[in-house]
Parts: sequence; C-alpha cells; structure tokens
Amino acid sequence: MSEVLDSLRTIEELNPKLNAFVHVCGAGNLAGEVPVAIKDNIATAGIPTTCASRILRGFVSPFDATAVERLRTWGACVVGKTNLDEFAMGSSTEHSAFGPAKNPWDLKRVPGGSSGGSAAAVAARMVPIALGSETGGSVRQPAALCGVVGVKPTYGRVSRWGLVAFASGLDQIGIVTKTVREAAEVLGVIAGHDPHDSTSSTHPVDDYTRDLDAGNHQDVRGMRFGVVTEAVEKLEGEVRANFDDALTVLRGLGATIENVSIPTLPYAIAVYYIVANAEASANLSRFDGIRYGARSSRAKTLEDVYVDSRGEGFGDEVKRRIMLGTFALSSGYYDAYYARAQRVRAKMRHDFAEAFGRFDFLVTPTTPESAFEIGAKTNDPLSMYLNDIFTAPANLVGCPAIAVPSGFDSKELPLSLQIMAPHFGEAAMFRAAAAFERETNYWRRRPPL
Amino acid sequence: MKITREEARRIADLARIEMDEPALDRMAAEMSKILTYIDQLAEVDVEGFEERAAGEATPLRDDTPHAPLDRDLVERNAPAWHDGFFVVPKVIGGE
Repeated sequence: MSEVLDSLRTIEELNPKLNAFVHVCGAGNLAGEVPVAIKDNIATAGIPTTCASRILRGFVSPFDATAVERLRTWGACVVGKTNLDEFAMGSSTEHSAFGPAKNPWDLKRVPGGSSGGSAAAVAARMVPIALGSETGGSVRQPAALCGVVGVKPTYGRVSRWGLVAFASGLDQIGIVTKTVREAAEVLGVIAGHDPHDSTSSTHPVDDYTRDLDAGNHQDVRGMRFGVVTEAVEKLEGEVRANFDDALTVLRGLGATIENVSIPTLPYAIAVYYIVANAEASANLSRFDGIRYGARSSRAKTLEDVYVDSRGEGFGDEVKRRIMLGTFALSSGYYDAYYARAQRVRAKMRHDFAEAFGRFDFLVTPTTPESAFEIGAKTNDPLSMYLNDIFTAPANLVGCPAIAVPSGFDSKELPLSLQIMAPHFGEAAMFRAAAAFERETNYWRRRPPL
Repeated sequence: MKITREEARRIADLARIEMDEPALDRMAAEMSKILTYIDQLAEVDVEGFEERAAGEATPLRDDTPHAPLDRDLVERNAPAWHDGFFVVPKVIGGE
C-alpha cells in the first residue's frame, strides 16, 4: 500500500506542472499494491472515462476494460486516469478538453501523444506502469519523447474490450514503463484471448519475463537487425547520429546489422489517415447525445440532438478526422481513397513479410525528432501527422514494436530506438530491447523536475 | 484534391456535425491540404494487392445468454431517461 500512497503524493506534487492526470483517485477506497495509471479512453468502473472530450463529460463506465480487470486481479491499484488527445487523435496531447499535458524534460514542450499523460506520468515517476492505446504510434511516440519504454503489442494480443474504439482494425492497448522488464511483465498479465473481443487472438501467450530473468546476455548475438532504408536515408543531424550510435551498440552485442528496403514506408501516413479516419467516422457515430455523454441544450428535434451535440461536443481535430473519414468512404471517392489506401496497406504487409523473412527485427528511430514546443504544430495538422511516420507502419501491418530510450540530444531531450518484430514475436523483441537497455541504461536518468 | 465549401458542407451533413460557414471554410482548406498529401497514393503500383486481406480466423463464442448491463448504471450516464427508457424529442407527428 505504501507504494500507492507514494504514487499519490508524487501525483499531487507534480500534476499541477504536468497535467498528466485528468482524474486522480482518492486515497480512501484504493485496493491493490502496484500503482497503475490508465489512459482516459480505457474503461474503468466507478472512475470517469472521458476520452478528454467534452462529449463524454461525466461519463462513468459500468464496467472495467478487460486489461484493467486483469491488472486489478494481478494486484494493480488504479490511481488515476491520464490525459490524451481527444479520442486518442493526436501526437502531442494538446487536443485535450483538459488542456495540454507537459513534457517532464522541458515543460514548454509536448510529451507526445496521444498517450502523452501516460508517458509523462511514468517519466516523472508518478507511477511505475501506465496503460495507453495505439492506433498509429500513440504509445511509442510519447514514450520516445518522454524517455521511457513504450510497447505496442501485436494486433489482437490484448483485448480491446473497454478501449473506446477509434480505428478498430488498428487499435491496440499498449504499455508505458521505465524498463523493458516491467513492460514484459505487464504484457504477460493483460495479453490473451477474451470472449468479449472476437479480434483478440487465441495464439498462446509466451512467458515474456523468463528469458529476461535468466540473465542470458547472449540474446542479441547472431540476431539479424534490418535497418529500414526509407526511414533513415533522409534523416540528418542528432537523430541520425543517435540512431547510428544505437546500431553500434547492437553490433557490439554481436548483432548483424544490414539495410533493408520497405518501399511502401513513405506512404504510411497517407494510408493511415485514410484507413484510421474511415474507421473513426463510423466508430464515433455512437456519440450522438442519446445514450451517454453531453446532449446539446439547444436541440429541438431528434436530428438537432445528433448534429448539435456532435458540433458542440467534438473538438476541431476530431471533427477534421471524422470529416476526412466520411469523405474517404463517401460515394464517388471510395475507390480512389479508401480502397486504394487498403491496397497500399496490403502491399506494405507484403513488404514487411518479405523483410521479416530475412531479419529477426526491423529498426528505425521511433520518431523523426525530439519533443517539439507546445503550439509549434497545432496550426499545421499535416506536420503533426508526420511525427508518426516511423510508428504507423507497425499498426498498419499489425506487428509488435517497442520504443526504448537511446539517449539525449543537445537540448537534453530524450531520443528513442524502435524495434519491430514479426507477429507474436514479443518475447524475442523484449530480449533484444532489454539487451540494448542493459548496455545503455538511459532509463536511469530522471527528468529535472 | 481540392475540397470546396459546398463539398465540406455535404460531408459535414453526412457526418451529422453542426458547422458554421467560417468553420466550413477552414475545414475545406485543411482537408484540401491533407488530401493533396494523400493523393501521392495514386503513384503506388498496387496491381495484385487486394482491398481486403485475409486475417486470422475469427474465434466464435458459444451463443449463451449473459447478464446485461445494470440499468441503474446505464441511467446514470443517460442525458435524458424515464422509466427505464432513453428520452428523445418527438419523432412522429407535427407541432
């Protein structure tokens, strides 16, 4: 229990600076021993779940998400809900009805997003573990910008029951922790089939911590890492230098490093913003002011209830995405946009399958830059979107990926290495990430708060 | 792809989102810019790649009844509720 109380004290002290939590649980009715934070688009019984949207103000889920339920059974104590871009749509946690979350390494900068609250909370040592959600990089990108570990499991590895749907074919609950070992342990708890989610896989869940605890330091020796050419060929400056240093570390551990081409990688963001938004436009139709959430007070007719509640309740970014998705699915544009994006995605799957035929892992920097300043990209949605260029492919093809701290730039901002693995290859992915982490130990450095 | 204000209005109507004229103009400009970026997908040769990909088989559950959500908890989240039902403005009949 003392760890939980320590966590609550740290949250009380630091949250006014970071705005990482949008709801903190009272010390009165807390069960469990390990403090855990949950992104506010994941259902928690008895605690509000708002998706940082005005349209879900005051909503309290009648049930726990399966991942939350499994964590509670394991001994987790949910100490609060973390800030996010509204409905997980964003890469900076600026599009939140609760105001932006801040990066613990520099309060003028964004923590990334959309799971920015979860990443900031772990980086600031408010909690050791936080759940986030991924659709195009929403766990790995903020983890990278905050200097912590972020995991996107294989699509279907973790039940989506209770995760508010954004793009059901891409969404996956992810994990933010300080170290790889902690993330591996948490995945072992939350992974596995769930009758509530027919897309959750029946593939057996590996013992993710066994090899890490065996102290086998040979894990990367002889492993083949593919450096995705299209990701790094145009990279310059500190991110490139840091990535090259990371490759040197892996080579030093006995890994084989070679270049590999994924010709469709440069199209990932274009594909993503059609596929994800098309699904979002359908999924978010349920927010209509009828069954839950806010209803417009000026609505006179049933049609008004839908149109006005959605007009008042959704923020600009959410509207933009629903509009793009509606457009891509609308008569006359479906083939040119949605169908074409899906076919490019199929080609990307093929590219990845070929690459994983030759390599155990594919590596890129997690993000093309370190944390940017608050407000720097809010007027330019496209430049915000491009922050996910290296992370979105794993969502589009469904493979697992991990972001692991790889050092700091000259502004003392964290940088990150991304390791992608074949479907259900999480155990090997954790071994590789843990080997890199053990050699570099960047996780030990704490933000100057 | 250029989106006009009229096209933006058509999409906003389809999406059931209230938007005033300045908002529609802003949206049309932003969508035009994003779709112009997305138009690069036209240059990819997708011959031989299908729109729908075969995934893992969907596991089926037994078709057995389960307890529904607790009505009291549902009521707590409802914007308007009466006697176990959601209340909406009258749909049939005029003023």
